[in-house]
Amino acid sequence: MHRALRAVTGGLVGTVVLSGFLLVLDTQARGTLSVAAVVGRFLGIDGRPLIAIALFAIVTVVLWPALFVAVEGYLPFGPDPATRAVAFAAVIGIVFVVVGRGSITGPILVIYVGFSVLAHLAYGFAFGSIYGRLAG
Amino acid sequence: MIGGGIVLTVIAVLLVAGGTRFLQTKGWSAPIPRPDGGYLSGGETDTEHAEKQSGLLRWLTTVDHKDIGILYLVFGTVAALWGGTEAMMIRTELLTPTADVWTAATYNGLFTTHGITMLFFFVTPVFFGIANYFLPLLLNADDMAFPRINAIAFWMLPPSLLLARAGLPADALGKLLSTVGVKIPFLEALHPPETGWTLYAPLSIQSGNPQVDLLLLGLHLSGIATTLGAINFIITIVSERGENIGWMDVDIFSWTMLSTSGIILFAFPLLGSAVIMMLLDRNLGTTFYLVEGGGPILWQHLFWFFGHPEVYIIFLPATGLVSFILPKFSSRKLFGFKFIVYSTLAIGVLSFGVWAHHMFTTGIDPRIRMSFMFVSLAIAVPSAVKVFNWISTMYDGRIRLTAPMIFAVGSIGTFIIGGVTGVFLAAIPIDLVVHDTYFVVGHFHFILMAIIPMMMFAASYYWYPIITGRMYDQLLARLQAVLTIIGVPITFGSMLIMGALGLPRRYANYPDQFALLQQIASVGAFIIGIGVLLWLWNMVQSYRVGPRVRDADVWNLKRDDAFTREWQWFEEKLADRYGTDGGDPDDD
Ligand code: HEM
Ligand SMILES: [Cu+2]
Repeated sequence: MHRALRAVTGGLVGTVVLSGFLLVLDTQARGTLSVAAVVGRFLGIDGRPLIAIALFAIVTVVLWPALFVAVEGYLPFGPDPATRAVAFAAVIGIVFVVVGRGSITGPILVIYVGFSVLAHLAYGFAFGSIYGRLAG
Repeated sequence: MIGGGIVLTVIAVLLVAGGTRFLQTKGWSAPIPRPDGGYLSGGETDTEHAEKQSGLLRWLTTVDHKDIGILYLVFGTVAALWGGTEAMMIRTELLTPTADVWTAATYNGLFTTHGITMLFFFVTPVFFGIANYFLPLLLNADDMAFPRINAIAFWMLPPSLLLARAGLPADALGKLLSTVGVKIPFLEALHPPETGWTLYAPLSIQSGNPQVDLLLLGLHLSGIATTLGAINFIITIVSERGENIGWMDVDIFSWTMLSTSGIILFAFPLLGSAVIMMLLDRNLGTTFYLVEGGGPILWQHLFWFFGHPEVYIIFLPATGLVSFILPKFSSRKLFGFKFIVYSTLAIGVLSFGVWAHHMFTTGIDPRIRMSFMFVSLAIAVPSAVKVFNWISTMYDGRIRLTAPMIFAVGSIGTFIIGGVTGVFLAAIPIDLVVHDTYFVVGHFHFILMAIIPMMMFAASYYWYPIITGRMYDQLLARLQAVLTIIGVPITFGSMLIMGALGLPRRYANYPDQFALLQQIASVGAFIIGIGVLLWLWNMVQSYRVGPRVRDADVWNLKRDDAFTREWQWFEEKLADRYGTDGGDPDDD
């Protein structure tokens, strides 16, 4: 399979996993934080949750995988693409948490940080293992 | 700024990539170990699987005990992670004395669903999974006695979990649908029940939340599934043993599964009936648990007549695993095998005679109360026999501190605390003081978050090569074991202290003077949580790239003549796959 196609397929699966985690975060948080708002802040388009989510999906399906393919050889913990992608996603996760935080404070911050980073690690693992596996 | 997060991310990724490159030029490398030459697993590795359906269809239609065992394990793990998330949320809420993260109602929902998920959908399924995979191998049976019933029993569990826990998925679905503009009122009416896992009447009957009805149905269904599984285990152990396996050759884990299954047979049908009566009270106006009828105390009696045996249902398999695994890493035979079997059977019987120790404060007749106190004290004796025998097994043995062994030893230590606090609670004068405080929560978690999951971890590490044909990262595994064993006393020791100081359980807020102890407990819980993530990573990643196992004697068991049947089976399998000379695989 072509590299780009592998990356997008991986990105698709990873996005499903990521959305699962974020959806659980959103529902478990029971109104104390909104993932859509976090995503909006991350993308810099506060206040338009639907557009933010759609854009974010494009980013996680296409943009992150593209970036990964571009820098894969330079990432730590190779040669397994899955571990590399986990490291890659950890970076994304950290930026996501910091930029998306907004005014979230107090103990809920623990859940927010833990879950968002975990969601990204899972995204990276799902993406990387599919990407590697399709290489045959 | 529009796209600010994206730009920052790209910069950060480039920095990491550049940094790695720089470090590599300075000679740093962090390759993952790949002793088998860099092979990434792709699909089936097992020759015998070739005869089965492939892909998804295989997992949906399988009646092979090993496959069903794996299904159980995956299901139980998912439930555990779900319930574990709730545990982390509970501990987050309790970081501050006021209920400032979630409302008190949400907190009530959290501890209710946490308890139910863990007790009904995590522990029993995981032990059933382990037993499904290994009992037939240990007993030299072809399969379970009733392979199809085995599959049915498993496949009832996902729907029952969904029924019991419909609140969260309904909420999530409702959210998803409402973002595209669809509103379904029923989805919004379902809230997590706030009754506690014990579902005491009258609260559970008065609650107008339809989710309670679904929960009762889910519990009923899961009870049927569990009973079917138990019958299957009993028949398998009694009549499916291989020709050369007499009763004297039955291993200790099978014995505990036999006891557990026996208890299930008597306990779960009772829960099923009690739950149906509650459903009728809620919906059809019967009065089983109303003051005009049987009274709320009737529910407590029925519930605990099930509930106390239930704690032994989930506890006995864990003891079986200690008895099974501990001798392997002590280079000794299990000390007093027979007495452990007897004590297991004794617990099975006695467990039905202690239920009212959960009801000492309800005002029951003091003479009846006293008899329950004595039986409860007596039931500690067989447990103490086990502890004594485990310690004697290790005594003078050649101890090898592998991950399973660290877990086994840690289990003994934490179980002593759990058991001794249980004896305290069984003493009426003490229980009157600490009933319904954190002391009780500390007591049962020293068993429920200690020997039970610890021995599941131990089993996963001990048998991992058999299930996957690969080895995991042993250093990481030992780290996880140590983290868990440190985290448990930090978390639940704090709870024992808070309970002894009089802090009642099941409240989202608490007096300020408990803040420090609560925070310590939360930190301990997060340590345990991190350990779980390490375990998950180790399991998944090693399945992909862990070194392949070529020599079945992973644990050097032959030296001690402890190379038991499941390993012999594994050895044959390896010989089939690689040829007896251990040469290169001809398939793949
Ligand atoms: C040494 C044997 C044990 C004794 C004497 C014992 C005694 C007790 C007593 C008297 C209580 C009631 C405390 C109260 O509510 O005031 C209790 C609660 C509890 N025990 Fe134990 N226990 C023992 C072992 C176990 C084991 C092995 C488990 C679990 C596997 C367990 C799990 C529980 C649970 C879950 C509760 C609390 C139920 C609730 O109210 O939510 N116990 N125990
Ligand atoms: Cu009890």
